[in-house]
Amino acid sequence: MIPIIDEIRCTGCGGCIEICPPQAIEMREEKAFIDAELCEECGFCAAHCPTNAITVPFPMSSETV
Amino acid sequence: MEKYPHIFSPGRIGSLNTKNRIKYAATETNFPYGDGCVSDREVAYMEAQARGGPGIVTTQGAYPDKEGEGKGFKGMMAIYDDCFIPGLARIADVIRQNDALSCLQILHCGREGGVDLDYCLMSSVVPQKLSYFKPPREITTLEIKKTVKDHIMAARRAVKAGFDMIELSGIVGYLISTFISSYTNKRKDEYGGGIRERCRLMVEVIQGVKAEVGDKIPVGIRLCGLELLDDRGGNTIEESIESFRIAEEAGADYLSVTIGWHESSIPVITRDVPMGHWLYVSREIRKHVKVPVTMAFRQFLPSIPEKAIADGTIDFWEMCRPMIADPQMPVKIQEGREDEIIPCIACNLCFSRLYYHQPIMCSVRPTVGHEKDASWGYYGFSMVEKKKNVVIIGAGPAGLQCASVAAKRGHNVKLFEKDEVPGGSVLLASRVDDGSEELMRVVNTLQVECKNDGVELNYGVECSPEMVNKMNADVLVIAAGASVAAPPIGFSGPIFTPKVCMQSPDALPSRLAIIGGGGIGLGIAVFLIRNGDYSITVIEGSSKLGRDVNPFYLWRYTKLLRDKKAIILTGATIKDIKDMVLFVATPKGERQIEIDGIITAEYEAPLNLKRLYERSAPDIHIIGDAKKPRRLNNAIHDGYRLGMVI
Repeated sequence: MIPIIDEIRCTGCGGCIEICPPQAIEMREEKAFIDAELCEECGFCAAHCPTNAITVPFPMSSETV
Repeated sequence: MEKYPHIFSPGRIGSLNTKNRIKYAATETNFPYGDGCVSDREVAYMEAQARGGPGIVTTQGAYPDKEGEGKGFKGMMAIYDDCFIPGLARIADVIRQNDALSCLQILHCGREGGVDLDYCLMSSVVPQKLSYFKPPREITTLEIKKTVKDHIMAARRAVKAGFDMIELSGIVGYLISTFISSYTNKRKDEYGGGIRERCRLMVEVIQGVKAEVGDKIPVGIRLCGLELLDDRGGNTIEESIESFRIAEEAGADYLSVTIGWHESSIPVITRDVPMGHWLYVSREIRKHVKVPVTMAFRQFLPSIPEKAIADGTIDFWEMCRPMIADPQMPVKIQEGREDEIIPCIACNLCFSRLYYHQPIMCSVRPTVGHEKDASWGYYGFSMVEKKKNVVIIGAGPAGLQCASVAAKRGHNVKLFEKDEVPGGSVLLASRVDDGSEELMRVVNTLQVECKNDGVELNYGVECSPEMVNKMNADVLVIAAGASVAAPPIGFSGPIFTPKVCMQSPDALPSRLAIIGGGGIGLGIAVFLIRNGDYSITVIEGSSKLGRDVNPFYLWRYTKLLRDKKAIILTGATIKDIKDMVLFVATPKGERQIEIDGIITAEYEAPLNLKRLYERSAPDIHIIGDAKKPRRLNNAIHDGYRLGMVI
């Protein structure tokens, strides 16, 4: 699933932009923004984010999908 | 059939006959839901495995406790309640429908468990070496009794769900292994002490499960044949062999030999470990037991298990990664289509994805997890209505993969490569380290696919915009790779590209600075260190060395560099260059580095490509390193995804 960005935690450091394999992240108003069309849902941004501002939701049950 | 008579001979485990000696081994996927229920995606994946032709298909490990202490992965399958039976039955059904034996693995992750909790449960409190895992809590005697019962109840549910066999797991740091290993078991009660006492939990689980399921359902166990924990007081190989003997004595119907713990400090499953390397452990264990012995671990080519079965080293060939990469591997081997096997390159992307709490992906098979989604074409594509002329520039992995998929969908595809041979950057990458040559297997398979799919392959031909124009291309795909970034200004000595370095390492001076400490820079450093006596400085601008390198390889590369006294500077920028001296600013202060030459290991997407070709075709796409320099998996996935939609 597409990662979710917590705009309060995001410091706009741009680390995720550098690490994103499909170049799906850009900066919008000093916060990271993920283009859902390009995102491969690899989760590298979430693992890389120094402030834990990015989380990748995990489908908890068939009802949540 | 004739080429591998032993692999394709019938086998027997307990009371059951198998059609061949191939066992798809238990593999976590993170495809099930977070609540432990089986998903459609998991069923489709398992169906693909069963259709591929192995004699036995093992499920991923299912955790047996409702507390979730045994749960080691975000999307791990569960079996702690009857409510999971219908989902599990779907997996048993698709395996049976494809004429294979179904085996359900019960797995309590122990030291690696408690993924949703703030602790994990193990035999004794031994602090984690890998920070990823949860702080340990010692399991009480009461909880031991409960875990035995959990395993027994799980086995009962597995039988109800229709599985033919049960597998238990005591490896790599999982609960049972933490008891067996002298590294983690410091108990003073009846579950600690000598190897026999340390095996008590395992024995109680095997005996309990056997008593529950009866003689008709074979029960096997995976155990560690060689822990590779000598530096931390782990079991000797004699103790490990004894654990297998004790398991057999307790009633195990087959024994699966595994190697290493996740925290072992010796490479186990990476490319630098030669294929078949670990079979000597199985050979030793098989001398001491009578029940069938199975093993996976770096047996990527059928000739290796064929010989191992023939000479009595193993009875069954287990596969995880090779069958993630190509579930149809068994049937392709049987039909003499070995050149069509999509080869696992031991990149361990699948493995590392699990620890990012993500569903597995595969570098070489983009269809993983999309087996039932028709648009991904795992079982074949439907033909396009309008056949297009597709011209692809560059026969690296991106171009080859795109060509093959587009051609499979019915397009008329022409591929051009300016080199005399295909491969692109893989030609260089395949020379870096021991085993790197395996990377070329991907290129070889893609080339075979392209030929089979009717792609017109033109090597040694540089395709100009005029040529594209003349060919009346509807679609142009540029997969021509990246270009080397500009070197730092002001250096008066020689400057080398990675390609030149690898073509003639002997011509290089001895003191070299590598600009760029990503995968390419590290690759060059490793290559040079292994091929000569160089003094190397790696200069990386970001704070992390090799951030695009899989952790399974990164630690080995870093160790190689440190052992050879290479200087690694991260967060570093070149402030000044005077003759042959670099002035480098780092977070730890300025460094002066005297060098004889610079290697530029930073790449960038060629800026002028799109403009150069913009009028040559109505529809232009740029993929792979030409879009942005990245890893092999991105090139292949780029190619595949574009091929699907052209």
